[in-house]
Amino acid sequence: MRELWQFRDVLAAFVARQLRVRYKQAVVGAGWVLLQPLASAAIFALFLGRYAHVKSEGTPYLLFALGGTAAWGYFSGAATTGSESLVANQNLLRKIYFPREILPLTAVVSGLVDLAIGLGVLVIVTFLYGISPTVAWVALPLPVLILAAFASAFALGLSSLNIYYRDVRYVLPFLIQFGLFASPIAYPLSAIPASWRNAYAILNPVGGAVDAVRRIVIHGDWPNPVTAFGALGWSLCLAVLTYALFKRLERGFSDRV
Amino acid sequence: MAAAIEFRNVSKYFRANRTAYSMARDDLAALFTRRSPDANVIRALDEIDLEIPEGQAFGLIGENGAGKTTLLKLASRITYPTAGKIRVRGRVGALIEVGSGMHPELTGRENIGLYGRILGISRRDIRRRFDEIVDFAEIGPALDRPLKQFSSGMQLRLGFSLAAHLEPDVLLVDEAIAVGDAGFQYRCVERISTLVKEGRTLVFVSHNMSAVEALCERSLLLRQGRIVRDGPTREVIAEYLHGVEQVLLEKGPSRAPRYGEELELIGVTLLDEHANEVDGVGAGRPLTVRLNLRASRPIHRPIFEIGIADGRIGSLAMASMLIDGQAPEVLEGDCTVDCTFHDLPLMPRVYELWGGVMGAAGLGDVLAWQRLRLFRVEGEVSQAGLAAVSETLMKAPIQLRYDWAVRVPAARP
Repeated sequence: MRELWQFRDVLAAFVARQLRVRYKQAVVGAGWVLLQPLASAAIFALFLGRYAHVKSEGTPYLLFALGGTAAWGYFSGAATTGSESLVANQNLLRKIYFPREILPLTAVVSGLVDLAIGLGVLVIVTFLYGISPTVAWVALPLPVLILAAFASAFALGLSSLNIYYRDVRYVLPFLIQFGLFASPIAYPLSAIPASWRNAYAILNPVGGAVDAVRRIVIHGDWPNPVTAFGALGWSLCLAVLTYALFKRLERGFSDRV
Repeated sequence: MAAAIEFRNVSKYFRANRTAYSMARDDLAALFTRRSPDANVIRALDEIDLEIPEGQAFGLIGENGAGKTTLLKLASRITYPTAGKIRVRGRVGALIEVGSGMHPELTGRENIGLYGRILGISRRDIRRRFDEIVDFAEIGPALDRPLKQFSSGMQLRLGFSLAAHLEPDVLLVDEAIAVGDAGFQYRCVERISTLVKEGRTLVFVSHNMSAVEALCERSLLLRQGRIVRDGPTREVIAEYLHGVEQVLLEKGPSRAPRYGEELELIGVTLLDEHANEVDGVGAGRPLTVRLNLRASRPIHRPIFEIGIADGRIGSLAMASMLIDGQAPEVLEGDCTVDCTFHDLPLMPRVYELWGGVMGAAGLGDVLAWQRLRLFRVEGEVSQAGLAAVSETLMKAPIQLRYDWAVRVPAARP
């Protein structure tokens, strides 16, 4: 950990590199950061909100879905790029020394920029619907922290397994798809039976985070402390565990990649 | 002085030829038995003990696959040893295939900023030395173009330039100066020797013996992952080149007879001035090449040619009856042909002997031009130059007697 701190400038350089490379040679360029959550929220709103009449906690479905897609977009993006990061940068692994966790963490950190913009879009749409901010908005870093910790756990664990078994690459899309349905993105957390709801939102921290985002931004309310802190604790736990796993496997990376 | 690099009983094994399935099976087994199976293990390095003091310029020599790069990668923590302890003191800068971390979509300028930091140059140092880095790489006007539009030479130069502006305590260099044109290589060696003069520790891997000899005071010869010799660079290089020659001699053409249709070459022997059979000759001594031949029918006015070569195209020297007009009247039955070179002004090393026989008037091959055998010109390297050993043993083969005279205008008062 102390070493990671010494190499923070290297992490910053990787993040900067990732951000600059991201939308090169794309006509719309950085505009994609705005378009992606909006587009997926619009699709949800059209098919699930308008035709399937999924409940949306009494708010406009577009707004409701946007809260979910901003968070989900960040998590799935960071987990996917993160788990590919070591294999994708195998040249670097074999030629330059730096603490290897920098690569998966780069995905988690650089994704935060997208998340910030996604949340920004959510906020703007919220204003457009005539909802004004409340003091509860200061709690917004909490769900962000949950998502970042959980995404770190995924990225650290899967990227190191991916070095050894490329099967990870083929399993991950299914996991992500499963996660999208298993998390309250298109439907509200309240759709889960009340007796399981807290356990569910803690064990799947994306659920806790999305619920917190919606409560804060859309409802101007404080997040549910049990689920929010439970989810945070659980995802930090997972992050520490996967970090330990990562450090254990790290020694073989450059030989096995 | 304290050791900058310390290897204690270090081994590095790789598992070879494995399928993903067998690796998974072994990984699973290792979970329970805590012992990895021994089959198919490649010993890249085997029980290496090594101590390099601070400020020493250290060369690593050996054939491909001897373990040189593995040793560098261990020292730079890119990979970890299977057994043993490694200690490296101070900041390490490794030039191992420079430029592999640069991003093709980013411009030269962006890559300097980002790749430089990834290599470990601080943002402030990059800003301070930006122009120096650009000048050294000679990329000038291409600076703001994406890297993918650079020529491969430009990419390599940029990579090396960045790496060369690291200011590490320990510099590990792997074949990196084989980059770019001769002028650029010259400046790379200059840059490395500057770093050495500043007191940084250098570990230098190269097949360019002259560069190793000129840069490094001490060297290590590795063969199949083991230390063969560790000592003053000149001695180590001499041993290495000697070994290379030995392999050549052993693999060289056999003395088995080779046939023409009418003329059979039964053997080639070398004789010294006392008519003793030898495999080599001292520089400047006479050497007789004796061909034992059998002619199945009389061959009239055969034209012999014997050449000395050193692996380059063409011969270095030649004895030719086409030139001297000494072709014999007739060759019949078992006969011998001697050709004596009165003195061989050659650098000490292994040479090839070529020969052939043409028909009368120099038309048609009676015996095709072929490599007859190898021989060694023996001698000690006694010169004092920077790369006396490697230059003598590898470069220009002909030794002439010469003197230098250097005139410099008298210093103004």
